[in-house]
Amino acid sequence: MFDTALTAADFAFLAKGAGVTILVTLVSVLAGTVLGILFGVFRYQVGPVLAAPLTFVLDIFRSIPLLIQLVLANAFLGTILRLNISGFAVACIILSLYTAAFCAEIVRGGIEAVPATTRRAARSLGMTWGQDMREIVLPLATRVALPSWIGLALGVMKDSALVYIVQVTELLKSTQILITRLQEPLLLLMICGAFYFVISFPLARFGGYLEKRWSND
Amino acid sequence: MKKTGLAVALLAATAAMSAPSLADKLDDIIASGTLRCAVVLDFPPMGMRDESNNPIGFDVDYCNDLAAALGVTAEIVETPFPERIPALMSGRVDVGVASTSDTLERAKTVGMSIPYFAFQMAVTANDASGITSFEGMKGKTVGATAGTFEAIALEKQVNEWGEGTFRPYQTQADVFLALSQGQIDATVSTSTVAQSNVKSGNFPGISVVGNAPFDIDYVALFTNREEYGLINYLNLFVNQQVRTGRYAELYEKWVGGDLPSLTVDNVYR
Amino acid sequence: MFNYTFQWKQALARLPQMLDGALVTMQIAILSMAIGILLAVLLTMFRLSGLRLLSAIARTWVEIARNTPALFQIYMAHFGLGSFGLHLSPFASILLGITFNNAGYLTENFRGALKAIPETQTRAARSLGFGQGGAFRYIVLPQMLRIAFLPMTNQMVWAILMTSLGVTVGMNSDLYGVTQDLNALTFRTFELFALAAVIFYLITKVITLGARLIAARLFRY
Repeated sequence: MFDTALTAADFAFLAKGAGVTILVTLVSVLAGTVLGILFGVFRYQVGPVLAAPLTFVLDIFRSIPLLIQLVLANAFLGTILRLNISGFAVACIILSLYTAAFCAEIVRGGIEAVPATTRRAARSLGMTWGQDMREIVLPLATRVALPSWIGLALGVMKDSALVYIVQVTELLKSTQILITRLQEPLLLLMICGAFYFVISFPLARFGGYLEKRWSND
Repeated sequence: MKKTGLAVALLAATAAMSAPSLADKLDDIIASGTLRCAVVLDFPPMGMRDESNNPIGFDVDYCNDLAAALGVTAEIVETPFPERIPALMSGRVDVGVASTSDTLERAKTVGMSIPYFAFQMAVTANDASGITSFEGMKGKTVGATAGTFEAIALEKQVNEWGEGTFRPYQTQADVFLALSQGQIDATVSTSTVAQSNVKSGNFPGISVVGNAPFDIDYVALFTNREEYGLINYLNLFVNQQVRTGRYAELYEKWVGGDLPSLTVDNVYR
Repeated sequence: MFNYTFQWKQALARLPQMLDGALVTMQIAILSMAIGILLAVLLTMFRLSGLRLLSAIARTWVEIARNTPALFQIYMAHFGLGSFGLHLSPFASILLGITFNNAGYLTENFRGALKAIPETQTRAARSLGFGQGGAFRYIVLPQMLRIAFLPMTNQMVWAILMTSLGVTVGMNSDLYGVTQDLNALTFRTFELFALAAVIFYLITKVITLGARLIAARLFRY
């Protein structure tokens, strides 16, 4: 009763779920970051009035439970548009937009943190807008934005636990499947929690370290 | 809303996808060479997993038989109870072989075949609760799997009693986990799942204490409402399964005992 | 345009039930925030206490809350504690799960806010005769809560969104639970969840605007 019925095959099954979690996270964070940078720069560049429609749409992704976003996207793409699209793709699309919505805020905050005087100085030295963005804003804004971005990426990894709703078997879902068969909820949940923790904790610490180091100068 | 929809659609367009097809679904399945079945895999003995976590059970075999008849390979898509019909509606599966009660409410959304299985409803109680019958559940905390026939009936019953609490859980496994932990005092489920879980020894301290006075729960295969070609095929397939003795064979393999009749007296389907 | 018939009437007919659910959602979020803030203040005091055991408790709490999924924490509050024979109702489970999460994140926010309050203020207070507790209570705490007000508002929005995870522990009276129950009856998935999305959106907007008004009133100099 007290020794576990967990086998190597079960660990392989969990590892597969963990792989899906990581894959969904990587795809979404990459796509979401690219989109987020585009949206963030655009919003900063055109000003709050012209960017209002974009701001509104991005705000929706931050104001509705992710579970509902996934259910709606699934119903919209599959039931209404009749697209033959996999649950994995739906999960990646929604998580990417979700990431982008938060990333745009971080990017905008990063750009705004670069003093206007510094940028004017750069332009008066004859730098173009592109050079100013690349050589001045990018390195300075990254310092402000990177720690938050790490937090966002880790948040997306944790939130990816919700993609089970579109039939993607990620880590937490794999754990539940094993609980169904083995009935060892506590042990299995501990293993699952430990996995998230092992990935998230060091990266979160690294983010904290960067924040501390970069805020000193 | 429209804007989000547009943005999502645009993004989807960049993702790999195939154009919506206008051919009939039966053709689509045969052409694709794969039959995707929605099966609930925490519902023993209808759907469960073996030691290597592969899907097994009555519904899994039934899906395999259907695929064999169509000359295609079967793909089992695990769907929790509340997600069965959404999975079909969003095109994630072709057919539901998921012990789905053929209610009129559901038939507004999906097309049901003739019944392919019939369940009795049983009451399973935690031994510490002192419940010995269906009536004994009055005033207690009871639960069932969200979105199932028995959950809807039990919630109605609890409201009629006017005392006690009803809790829906997302999966059948969570219901029995909660029952064995004593979080709920009793549950109503199909007698097959109740017997199978009690016998498995995975859930100590629970027993089947009697039948629930609900109607016999006829369950059907389902697919999209407008796919008459496929629905016709499913009806004939269910008929053939009984006629050829395969239904009895599968019943003996997974459940055992008296074979439930799939017909209702004094009325045509 | 679409090969799909929208049945908005079916969804709108259920609006009263969904609004009842929205009230439960608000109730959970508000309670979890109130208790979460108290716990976070307590954990912050633990951290500042200089006692190794207390600060270890605070650190562990914060790291687990921030490094595991909220869904995991809520599932654990119900079935994990259930393994020890500790039975919480779905309402208590979701409340505990979200409160645990809130307290962890808020403690971290408070840590950030404390950095902005110069150490000299505490020393000045001490030299004016405040005790250690008094200095924290009357000098540091009010400033800390003010600086952390915006992150607290964000956490409140998170709390609202997290209530949607209650279905995994048998909750069916909150907005998401009600919507899912109705979906099981009618299967108008898109219509029902779109309506739920609008309600969630409005709730979060009311909270952010409300917080801004409160901030404007409370924090003007």
